[in-house]
Amino acid sequence: MLIAGTVPIKSLPLITGEVRADGGYLVVDGYRIPCTQGTAAMVSAALAATNYLNIEPPQALIAGDIGQGEGSRAIYEYLIQNVSRLSPDVLVLHYCLPIITLMRRLCESVERCARKPIMIADASSMYAAKAAGLASRFDIFTPDAAEMAFLADPDATHPAYIARHLFDADIAQTPNLVAAAYQHKNAARLLLVKGTVDYVVSNESIVATISEPNVPELEAIGGTGDTITGLVSALVHAELELHEAAIIAAKSNRMAGKFAQATPATRVWQIIEQIPSVFKEYLCEWSGVCCVKGGYGDD
Amino acid sequence: MEFLKRKKKPSFEGGGLVLFRDVQDAMKAEKALKGAGYEVKLVAPPPTLRKGCDLAVEVNLVEQPGIERALKEKDADYVSVVPLGTGSLELLRVVKVTDFGKWVMVKAGNMKLTFDKESGIIVNTSGGGCPDIPHLHAELIDKGLTETPHPRDIGFTLCALMLDRAFEESLALWQEER
Repeated sequence: MLIAGTVPIKSLPLITGEVRADGGYLVVDGYRIPCTQGTAAMVSAALAATNYLNIEPPQALIAGDIGQGEGSRAIYEYLIQNVSRLSPDVLVLHYCLPIITLMRRLCESVERCARKPIMIADASSMYAAKAAGLASRFDIFTPDAAEMAFLADPDATHPAYIARHLFDADIAQTPNLVAAAYQHKNAARLLLVKGTVDYVVSNESIVATISEPNVPELEAIGGTGDTITGLVSALVHAELELHEAAIIAAKSNRMAGKFAQATPATRVWQIIEQIPSVFKEYLCEWSGVCCVKGGYGDD
Repeated sequence: MEFLKRKKKPSFEGGGLVLFRDVQDAMKAEKALKGAGYEVKLVAPPPTLRKGCDLAVEVNLVEQPGIERALKEKDADYVSVVPLGTGSLELLRVVKVTDFGKWVMVKAGNMKLTFDKESGIIVNTSGGGCPDIPHLHAELIDKGLTETPHPRDIGFTLCALMLDRAFEESLALWQEER
């Protein structure tokens, strides 16, 4: 699994390598990256899951970018040149400045892979995929409610410019937004819509809704959407079916919030550190996978 | 021959237009933006978006706040920045407020800012997906609403602009209670 995205360290060059945790930091290629909102939270959640499952940890492709696009362009260009050689089973695209022409070239490069990776996009990579008309090339999108309205608006190129009537739609209107997104070919094969109620949509049909435990404080905590994406990516990497991975990711994130006794002032790393405890207590019940042993790192 | 196989350079697709009153302004702005490192292109605006002259600068719409700041710094006059296409020309202005007791969360578009009612300290920002959002998160957290720089002054993208809306609303709410 390869996770690509930027982090808010302007001086950080393009780095790539296997991820490991060291205290509150991620370590990639010798660089220490704090676990905060964004790609770092997503990678940290994925790593927590792969560590628990004892499977190969994520590979990360990371560059510094505070919004001016240099790091984002470096990531796009590296992937365009190397994705065929890297041939990841899962490719996760996260915080990168949406640049339509580069997203098109990347998708063309992915099409040339001998084995097409499972393609997951969140955050601005999802915006770029939709704006480029390439949403249907992706296997999983993980929008929140506002981003679902963006996917449903055929003309919007960013969530800041969606039609007001779509933004005003209550979470209960998610099925209508989902239908509109598929009608305009602006949805991935599977959607995990994050909100008061989480919706899992597979091939245009809602296959599950998750509303418990109800931890409304999670919406305020920066990075709790990123952690869902990290979890679903790790579970897909563990070869669960996409919809199973999405359902378990949504349940796990909510339960991690409950375990952390989240308040609006909680930090995302406090949610992530609960993931092993959540898996220990519930993964067997939710997935039927009740014995995790052997695997990555064993002789 | 090899040069005949050379691939055509992909054309720029930015999704946004900077509109001007006259051609000279458009050309000055193009030069200023290229000098600031932005990928831009001089184009003819569609008839529905003409504001006076027949030249506009196509930009990556998501970079709107950074582009407007760069134009102001270079004294490059412009009329407005608008999205291309047939969708909404107006930035989303809807703001929603959630009371969490000790804290208030203000949501503007896809961005949320939460502050402590008593102290005015920003305790979290969430939502969005552009690369400046984790940067703004780090810059704003644990700072007072009256002490921190405004997101639109240090951010570069539309997500930052929406976070600025949430910030301004939060500041107004907090000051009303003082």
